[in-house]
Amino acid sequence: MPHPAPNTNPTRPLNAAPPLLAGLMKVSAGIDAINDRIGRSAYWLILVAVLVSAGNAAIRYLVGDSSNAWLELQWYLFSAVFLLCAGYTLLHHQHVKIDIVYLRLSRRTQLWIDIGGTVLFLLPMAFIVMWLSWPVFVDAFKSGEVSGNTGGLTLWWARLLVPVGFLLLLLQGISELIKRIAILCGVLPDFAAADDVADDVSDNADHAAKALPP
Amino acid sequence: MTTFLIHNIAPLMFFGLIFFMLLGYPVAFALAANGIFFGLVGIELGLLQLSLFQALPDRIWGVMSNETLLAVPFFTFMGLLLERSGMAEDLLDTIGQLFGGMRGGLAFAVIFVGALLAATTGVVAASVISMGLISLPIMLRHGYDRRLATGVIAASGTLAQIIPPSLVLIIMADQLRQSVGDMYAGAIIPGLVLAGLYALYVLLVTWLRPQWAPALPIEARQLNGTDAGSGTMSLLVLFVIASICAIVFAQTYQARALDELLVLSIGFGVAVAYVLALLNRLLKGGLLSTLTEKVTFVLVPPLALIFLVLGTIFLGVATPTEGGAMGATGALVMAMARRRLNFARLKEAMDSTAKLTTFVVFILIGARIFSLTFYGVNGHVWVEELLTNLPGGQTGFLITVNLLVFFLAFFLDYFELAFIIVPLLAPAADKLGIDLVWFGVLLAVNMQTSFMHPPFGFALFYLRSVAPVKAYVDRVTKKTMAPVTTGQIYWGAIPFVVIQLIMVALVIAFPQMVMVYKDAPAKPNPKTMEIFIPPMDAPDDDLTRAFGGVSDRSAIVDKSGKSREERAAEDIEKQLRGK
Repeated sequence: MPHPAPNTNPTRPLNAAPPLLAGLMKVSAGIDAINDRIGRSAYWLILVAVLVSAGNAAIRYLVGDSSNAWLELQWYLFSAVFLLCAGYTLLHHQHVKIDIVYLRLSRRTQLWIDIGGTVLFLLPMAFIVMWLSWPVFVDAFKSGEVSGNTGGLTLWWARLLVPVGFLLLLLQGISELIKRIAILCGVLPDFAAADDVADDVSDNADHAAKALPP
Repeated sequence: MTTFLIHNIAPLMFFGLIFFMLLGYPVAFALAANGIFFGLVGIELGLLQLSLFQALPDRIWGVMSNETLLAVPFFTFMGLLLERSGMAEDLLDTIGQLFGGMRGGLAFAVIFVGALLAATTGVVAASVISMGLISLPIMLRHGYDRRLATGVIAASGTLAQIIPPSLVLIIMADQLRQSVGDMYAGAIIPGLVLAGLYALYVLLVTWLRPQWAPALPIEARQLNGTDAGSGTMSLLVLFVIASICAIVFAQTYQARALDELLVLSIGFGVAVAYVLALLNRLLKGGLLSTLTEKVTFVLVPPLALIFLVLGTIFLGVATPTEGGAMGATGALVMAMARRRLNFARLKEAMDSTAKLTTFVVFILIGARIFSLTFYGVNGHVWVEELLTNLPGGQTGFLITVNLLVFFLAFFLDYFELAFIIVPLLAPAADKLGIDLVWFGVLLAVNMQTSFMHPPFGFALFYLRSVAPVKAYVDRVTKKTMAPVTTGQIYWGAIPFVVIQLIMVALVIAFPQMVMVYKDAPAKPNPKTMEIFIPPMDAPDDDLTRAFGGVSDRSAIVDKSGKSREERAAEDIEKQLRGK
């Protein structure tokens, strides 16, 4: 049976989605919306962390005193950013890949690599970490674990961030999987084409975003 | 088959990793999945205990509570804000005017501004993009050789990676378990020497191929000689006055340590120059030329930021992480004061920072999951034996490792190199008696090339994104200009990659350049003082390091609070060691 080609041309009409896939695509859109919302809220914590850290150093210098709570708050915020943005970053295709070979492959092969990677790498990994870190949170919550530093903070909610972050990642992995399948079936326009267009009109900010870099 | 697997699981795992990563799935997940997959294989073969995976949440907790890594979002955020603040534009305009009159002047200005931006922040993208947008069109307009122009911009932007406060050095310090302050102190001289070598190369070019780097004609330099005599003379006078004030200050002030004295007296000299320039402006310019006044005003913001970041770190007021936060706050205030920052741009900066931080940290999480299994099957012993048995002892090791990193840098970026390769190299280097700060700086210099390698160097990629792709009409001369081809950018990078390799050789040959970090007496730092290194006997220590190392910050916490996991981890290590 000939496979339908992935629809890489945004102007080409899309195939109609079979009912199951149409339902899954709704799920995928819902996950995308959730992770987008969470990511956009979580990045504000960077600003908070910057101000807390700079303020803490300044106050320690001026007053000669500071609290461990402020030190711990910094890395709580930092952890919240990267764990809560894990799905968001995946949604925006910002997890780096080595694309020397990838870029030379046909779009169809690329999609299959993404699907295989998601099923074999991402989903099991996210599930195992989530599954293993949940009891750690439960222990911390039940025992009311508090950081051992003087004036330290309650730890359970930082422990909760791990399973939550990996759950968001898992969900986003499922959403990406659905989207790849939908693209392969030609029922969803290929975002690769959209990404290229975005690149052409991008300003500094977008370059810097890509950048990422160092 | 099973016997073969048992004996070769470490190499299989390593080559499996290379295969998975080359497929083009995100590195972080390929790493983690590889670790989990081979962990399951190891358990199946009876090489590992099921309890191995119980240590997984602890690995992640260790990454979360690592205070050094906090510097990644702080410095990234700072760099993105600076890019939006227009500071680089002002600098390039003014310094270009200052040097423009001499042959190769614009190239020197790019190197100077590149080094200055590098000292304010550690973000290559921001420097390369700013310089590519501002200096490249001017250089093309005045007939610079395109390869020279693009090469010097990419290379100078890359200086952000080696001149403190660079992210590469922070991550290297974390992975090698050295102090970030030592790493910074050790990298200053190599960083400046590298900038000097770039300038030397440009000088050589102006001598051998003068037509490649012409001087700017007088009409392109509006600032010069407009009032109060020749512009540069007055600048020289101001510089001498400021230097004398700084030296006098240094003679009289009783400082506790050399770096404190340096920071404060340079700060004093800059303040004097600034006050004089301010007076000049109030008096409507009798004293100094427009050029001098402009140069002074334009240099103050970056110098103030350098003070805010590096100054506070070297004075012991702030940890490197807090220095990053200070710098980010400073950049935020500056961008707002110049009205270059609106709500949308702030959100963009935070958005980019969040994505960068996430992917970087996830590579590290992936690497820790990978190493959990890799060290469990004694992969580190395999690598260490390979490396310590190299002929030629220390030098043989260093040369091999640097060649390895140079070639890996063609397709790995420095985060991947630092998180995957460096932890494998560190124990072997340590065993051979190599100073790890020296080793770290050496690798950091080497990893510069990963930004400049055609065809995947990040710096070239950023430059390509802002260099003209199509023929365009120059704004000033109204002439049609040819586009900058990708080939020109690649060819332009090659001489600078060669210079970077020469620098690697120089750092190997003259370790003194780095070793000066030992002369600066360790400063009591309010935060590092609390750091507690759990006492461990030698073999345990190796294994702990191998496991990805306990970060300073997590050590603080573990000391007092989380000894539970720490002990659990040790138990697992012991079990593994028993195997």
